[in-house]
Amino acid sequence: MSASKCSRLSGALIEQLLDSVDSVLFDCDGVIWRGDQAIPGAAQVINRLKEKGKRVFFVTNNSSKTRRMYAEKMSGMGFNVSEEEVFGTAYCSAVYLKTVCHVEGKVYLIGSDAMRQELEAMGIPHTGVGADHIVGRQADWANVPLDPEVKAVVVGFDEHFSYMKMNRAFQYLSQRDCLFVGTNRDTKLPLEGGKAVPGTGCLLQAVETAAQRRAQTVGKPHRFMFDCVASKFGVERGRCLMVGDRLDTDILLGSNCGLKTLLTLTGVSSVADAEAHQRSGCPERQGMVPDYYVDSIADLLPALQG
Amino acid sequence: MAGAFGLKGCQKIRGPQIRNLLEAKDFFLFDCDGVIWHGEKAITGAAKVVSSLIRQGKNVVFVTNNSTRPRENYVHKFYRLGFTDVMLEQIFSSSYCSALYLRDVVKVCGQVFVIGCDGLRSELQEAGIPCVAEADDPDATIYDCALAPDVKAVLVGHDDKLTFLKLAKASCYLRDPDCLFLATDNDPWHPLSGGRILPGSGSLTAALEVASGRKATVIGKPSRFMFECISSQFRGVDPAQCLMVGDRLETDMLFGSNCGLDTMLTLTGVSQMEEAQQYQNSELPTNLSLVPNYVVDTIADFLPAFEELDEQSN
Repeated sequence: MSASKCSRLSGALIEQLLDSVDSVLFDCDGVIWRGDQAIPGAAQVINRLKEKGKRVFFVTNNSSKTRRMYAEKMSGMGFNVSEEEVFGTAYCSAVYLKTVCHVEGKVYLIGSDAMRQELEAMGIPHTGVGADHIVGRQADWANVPLDPEVKAVVVGFDEHFSYMKMNRAFQYLSQRDCLFVGTNRDTKLPLEGGKAVPGTGCLLQAVETAAQRRAQTVGKPHRFMFDCVASKFGVERGRCLMVGDRLDTDILLGSNCGLKTLLTLTGVSSVADAEAHQRSGCPERQGMVPDYYVDSIADLLPALQG
Repeated sequence: MAGAFGLKGCQKIRGPQIRNLLEAKDFFLFDCDGVIWHGEKAITGAAKVVSSLIRQGKNVVFVTNNSTRPRENYVHKFYRLGFTDVMLEQIFSSSYCSALYLRDVVKVCGQVFVIGCDGLRSELQEAGIPCVAEADDPDATIYDCALAPDVKAVLVGHDDKLTFLKLAKASCYLRDPDCLFLATDNDPWHPLSGGRILPGSGSLTAALEVASGRKATVIGKPSRFMFECISSQFRGVDPAQCLMVGDRLETDMLFGSNCGLDTMLTLTGVSQMEEAQQYQNSELPTNLSLVPNYVVDTIADFLPAFEELDEQSN
C-alpha cells in the first residue's frame, strides 16, 4: 500500500500500478456507466485489461438486476464480459443466505424480480414479489397471517414497497429467531436516464426503525462481496485493485479487504471528500481515503495501449 | 415539586400521595392509547377519573401522537367510550398541531405534500392549508412522475397507503432546502389492543430522512410544540401546576420533561417499570429525562383519592 495516499494516478505510475495487480474489481454506477450511458473509454479499458491477462470483475450494490441482466447490459455497451464475472447484491444476497446464514425455510422478500430469480437459482423458497396493497382495517394488519415456514426477512430495492409490505416484514421480525438481511444501505438508486430515486437504504431503515432491529447487510463496504469473488476465483488480495466512485462503499470495501484502491471522479465522491477524511485524523475514516484517483477510468488507457 | 435534576422519584404512589398530587396540580395532560383506552375499549375507571377531575374544577386535556383521526372523530370516540364530558377544545392530536404549526408558526405560503391518512389531510384543510392532491395516476412510475409546483413543505405521518412513489416524490421536493420537512411524530411502532403492534410514522420518517439526508422537525411528543399549542389556547398554564400522564417513556415522559412538567407513568400501556428503572440507573444524563416522577398501575388508582376529596368537601 502506498505510504502517501490520495495521489493522482498519472504517467508512469499507471503502468506501475497495473503491473502490480492481477485482478481489478470495478463498481458499475458512476464508474463504467451512468444510467444507460457508458463512460467514454470504459469498454476499451475493460477489454484491454483482459487482453493483457488481467482478471476483471464487477461488484455492484444495485440489487435490481440479475448477473445475467448485468452481463447483457454490458455486452450491449461493448464490454467483453461474462455472467460469472458480475457480482450484484441480488446474487450475493442469495449466496449469503445459503452459505453464511444457512437459511432453512422460506424468505419473506421485499425486493425486485431480479432478487426473486437469484433466490430461486439458489434453491431458496420465498413469498413472492410485486404489489401488496393494504386491505381491511388496522386490526387485520396486525393480525396478518404469517407463513410458519418463513425464517428470514430480506430487503432489497423494491419499487412496490408499501406499508403493507413493511407491516408483514415487521410482524415476521417480532419473532426473535427470524433472520433479518438487507442487500445494501445505499441511499440513492441511479436509474436509466440519469435520474436517481430513494435507494434500498431508505426501505431498510423504515423496516429497521419499526422493528427496532438492525439488519445484517451484504453489500459494500462489507467484506462479503469481495469474499464472494475471492472464493470463486482465488483472488490474491495483495495483487488486487478496487476501482470505485464512492468512498463509503467502494473504497472502504477495498481498504477493509487489504486491496489497493482507486477513486474515479465520474460518480459520487470528490477529491475534496477524500482529503477531508484524510485530514480528519479519525481512524475510522482513513479506510475511505483511496490510494489513488483519476478523473475517469479512461485515464488508464495510455498504459494499456500497445 | 418538579423533580430536581437526576432525582426523579419513579415511585409507585397510592392513596394519600395521589390525593396530595391532585390538590397540588390544576392542569392534567393525558395521553390516550394505553392510558385511558386500549383501541375501542376504555380502561376500567378511566371515564370516572376524567369526569371527577373536571368536576373538581381541574383542566384536563388529551395529548396524542396519533395522527390518523380528525379531532371531531375523537370527540365521538370519547363519547362512545363513556367519556361524556370531553369537548373538541380539550383534544390535541399531532395532526391538529401540525396544521397549527404550518398555519401559525411557518405561515406557509404554497402547497404541502402530505404522506399521511385522510385524518391528517382533513386537519390541514380545516386550517386552510392547501395540500397537493393525492393523484391516483395509474400510469405514474418512478421513471416518470409529475411533481406539483410551489411545494413549500413535506409532512409525514402515519400512512397505510404508503408507496415507493410517494417516497420518491417527497425526496424530490426535499431537494429544495427552502422546502420544510415536518413529521407528525417519531413513534417507531404503535400498539393495538391485545398486544398486537403496527409500524408507526417513525419508520416512514426515517426512510425519508435517509433519502433526503435531512432531519425532520417533529411536531408530536416528545417535542415541546404540542405543549406550546396548549399554552396558547388555555389562559395561564403554569408548568409547575401541570401533570403529564402517559404510558410511553420515550414519548410521554420525555415530553413532560422537555416542557418542565411533572410526569406520571401508568403501567396499562407500552412501558414497564423495569424499563423506567433501567433509565434511572443509566449513566447517560439524557436518559434521566425519560424517568417518570410518579408511577401508577392504572389511572383508576386516582379513584380512592377522589372519594376522599368528595368526603372532605361534604
